Amino acid sequence: MTRTKLYVGIYVVLFAFATVQALVEFAGFLESAYWEAFAAIMVLSAIKAVLVAAYYQHLRWEPRSVSYLVAGGLVAATALTGAAAFSIL
Amino acid sequence: MSSHEHGLPPKSSISRWFLTTNHKDVGILYIVTALFFLVFGGVLALLFRIELWEPGAQVLSELSYNQSVSAHGLLMVFWFISPFAFGFANYVVPLQMGAEDLAFPRLNALSYWLYLFSGLLFGVSFFQGSTFAGGWTMYAPLNVPAYIPDGALGATTAVLALVMFVASVTVSSVNFLTTMYRMRAEGLRMRDLPIFSVSILLTVWMMLFAFAALLAALMILSADHIIGTKYFVYQITQSGAVTRTVGNEAASLLWAHLFWFFGHPEVYIVFFPALGVMAETFQTFAGRRLVGRKWFILSMVLVALQSFMVWMHHMFLTNINLTIKTVFMATTIGISLPFDLMMFSLIYTLIKGKVRFKTPFLFTLGSVILFIVGGITGVFLGAVVLDYQFRGTYWVVAHFHYVMVGGATALFGGLYYWYPKMTGKMYDEFLGKVNFAMYFVGFNLLYFPMFVAWETPRRVFEYEAGLTVWHQIATIGGLLLGASFLVMFYNLFVSLWRGADAGDTPWEYATSAEWAVSSPPPMDNFPGLPSYRDGSLSFLSESAVAARLRGDGTASTDGGDPTADGGVATGTALDTATETHLETEDVEHADHASIWPFAVGLGAFLTMLGLSGVQQGTIVGTEYAALLGVGGVVTFGSLVAMTREPFHAPEAALAERFPYADVEKLKLGMWVFLASDVVLFGAFIGSHAFIRVAHGWREWHNLIPAEHVTMPGLINTYLLLTSSFLVVLAMVAAKKGSRRGTVLSLVGTLALGIGFLVNKALEWQHLFHVHSEAFPQGWDLSTNVASSTFYLTTGLHGAHVAVGLVICAYMTIRAWNGAYQGDPDAIEYFGLYWHFVDIVWLFLFPLFYIL
Ligand code: HEM
Ligand SMILES: [Cu+2]
Repeated sequence: MTRTKLYVGIYVVLFAFATVQALVEFAGFLESAYWEAFAAIMVLSAIKAVLVAAYYQHLRWEPRSVSYLVAGGLVAATALTGAAAFSIL
Repeated sequence: MSSHEHGLPPKSSISRWFLTTNHKDVGILYIVTALFFLVFGGVLALLFRIELWEPGAQVLSELSYNQSVSAHGLLMVFWFISPFAFGFANYVVPLQMGAEDLAFPRLNALSYWLYLFSGLLFGVSFFQGSTFAGGWTMYAPLNVPAYIPDGALGATTAVLALVMFVASVTVSSVNFLTTMYRMRAEGLRMRDLPIFSVSILLTVWMMLFAFAALLAALMILSADHIIGTKYFVYQITQSGAVTRTVGNEAASLLWAHLFWFFGHPEVYIVFFPALGVMAETFQTFAGRRLVGRKWFILSMVLVALQSFMVWMHHMFLTNINLTIKTVFMATTIGISLPFDLMMFSLIYTLIKGKVRFKTPFLFTLGSVILFIVGGITGVFLGAVVLDYQFRGTYWVVAHFHYVMVGGATALFGGLYYWYPKMTGKMYDEFLGKVNFAMYFVGFNLLYFPMFVAWETPRRVFEYEAGLTVWHQIATIGGLLLGASFLVMFYNLFVSLWRGADAGDTPWEYATSAEWAVSSPPPMDNFPGLPSYRDGSLSFLSESAVAARLRGDGTASTDGGDPTADGGVATGTALDTATETHLETEDVEHADHASIWPFAVGLGAFLTMLGLSGVQQGTIVGTEYAALLGVGGVVTFGSLVAMTREPFHAPEAALAERFPYADVEKLKLGMWVFLASDVVLFGAFIGSHAFIRVAHGWREWHNLIPAEHVTMPGLINTYLLLTSSFLVVLAMVAAKKGSRRGTVLSLVGTLALGIGFLVNKALEWQHLFHVHSEAFPQGWDLSTNVASSTFYLTTGLHGAHVAVGLVICAYMTIRAWNGAYQGDPDAIEYFGLYWHFVDIVWLFLFPLFYIL
């Protein structure tokens, strides 16, 4: 039962964060301070992703090795994106 | 007799090969099919070698030449080498690790059929005008229809064939990883795996991530062909005028990044199995354990990791910045170091042992020599300065043939090595040696002159007249190399009848477990449950397993008693369990037959062929529409049938499962698949980011109409988040045994998912038809590169949602009929997928709607 409450709580947080992300735009922060707003929005997305993965996909309660597996994919994708973008800066 | 074959027809019957899911059968299918593609690619090579007898185009037309060169490369790299190696992997790895089969036997058969049909599809492309002719690296922009003469039909088919091939590889990677982590014999720790299995394990790890990047590249390329996106096209304006200011400044660099991010790991994917065969046979024929085995394995692990950090050495001649070139030059030099270690270990093993020069060993020894030549010449290319000279010349051609075909040489050694195991017969040793001599001489005659004539430009039939003699030597070498295969095929074919009986093992010092069973091994592989707990291989009877599970079975996690390195299987313990064979068989009745993998492969083949007839959004003929329709129905129908078919693939009661002991096999399979999907989406998002950086991150807005607003994205975020939450509730309800709750939650998920897609469709409709000053014709897939990335990336996500909804609908019906109560695993696994799709959207939303 308490698990269910936890799931509800996370749902609320996810909902709120998504709204905040949109509000950042509606409030015009992207015009005044683009890169700060960019960072804030991406961090919010990252937090949401971690919450979904940790609780809805219950990685928190799985052996660590499962998280490493996913992290492997994440590192590969990030390396590709980062290095490729850097190569043309 | 037929009871021994578990419902499969005997091997002499054709239908067996369509039905089988057994790893040994599938292995043989892979090997035979790969050899077929070797001949296919080889004949093409001989064609253009003959063309190169003199400079200029005499025999082949220009376009035929380009087609032969491109198809040869694609066939050899994709449809021959890796599948050939995976034939052995299929056959040998389960035996070496003590498993009865792979974790998902039907998916294994599916991998095979996707592979075969993808190759046939590639073959069909020759008959659609012309096949792809832009080189095996498929560099942009010559890979898009605008730059393909005479229509792109065949080229599109070739790309789709590759997509299908990658699907096969992905399924297979998931299968092998799950198998190798969940099904090792008791007491066989990861580090105790025989060296060939270790090499395959590392290969599939690389495959899992590298091929996902290739899949992204190929899907994007297919989209450019089929629906008219503009990823790899330079010039696009509203009026069709040529300009480089609107849109995509870095189209060809994007392809190069995606392709080589896959491509460099690919060379190790190709090479590692060969390395495994080398090490395996060096041990057997030197009668000695591999010297420095631990360091050998460590080197392989290092190389596997490093292989993802060197890809830009293929881009030294592009305008990427000097900093990054320098970095990648350093990493490239770094990756050759572990290889030195491995080579020394192999050579030292020979020195310390007593060598027997049997055919398999001759091939693997030859392979090491060729590889060393290839490796050294690669280091030249790894230096930026030298590469400025060598790039695009025959030096590169010679280099990679020495390494790649050098690797294949070891695999041919593997064919001779395991032939007695697979057939129960010995090949003819004399003919084997003749084969090797012809092969080795032919190889060097063919490829060494290419170093000498290195100034020849690559992929072109013109060269300086002074180099003619070298090319003629090479052509003669090519013919000799080709002839050596006739000897091989003759030998192996005739020996099926005339060969001497091989017994359990013809190799005195072979130690891995495949040699401890009969040749060929029985359907279930082992006369009892394999165990290494006592330091060597033994087979446990039913009662022994039961006893162990009851009392002293707790030591079965990793870190149990150390066994002899390399899982040494002595024959001593064999007799203990033979008499319990029948008993085991009756209890653990595993299924081995299913026609549906074949049917899915066929359906996919028809679908893809139909799809090739869609060019830039219009279908070129009704026959293609018909193919598309029939193919879709066959594929979907067979997938459903496969899901509904009862198929039992039991897991052994005792097994080594570190580090995934607590992750059930289906769940592990799902996670492995998701990890590759992370890379797929990562590469899509990365492509978007790359194009945007190239264009100017903040100027991007000029490519997007004002009508593209945040709201639809936000609504969809809410819908998807809520649906994710409902899947969690469905699982909770199923756990509690509430049918009503389960059904309601699933229906909710379904409704929200449909809502998501409908909302998206409305949004797209609106954007397609905007009429603004900047976008008078609307903003559709082909308008510019921003619209392309938007529609394609969110479209891929939408496709994931749609697939999820189909599964969800199926589960809703089952839940309605009372399934899953108290047993929510299936819902949980579906949830893993659904939440993943949710997570992806959490990034797409800001990237495409806010920033
Ligand atoms: C010591 C290890 C190696 C080094 C330092 C190395 C380095 C390089 C470099 C720098 C290139 C790019 C040359 C150019 O296009 O100008 C290249 C090309 C190539 N290498 Fe290697 N390589 C090594 C091992 C291998 C292995 C093991 C394989 C395959 C089994 C391989 C297969 C290839 C292929 C296929 C190409 C040509 C790609 C194309 O079509 O453009 N290399 N190598
Ligand atoms: Cu490379």
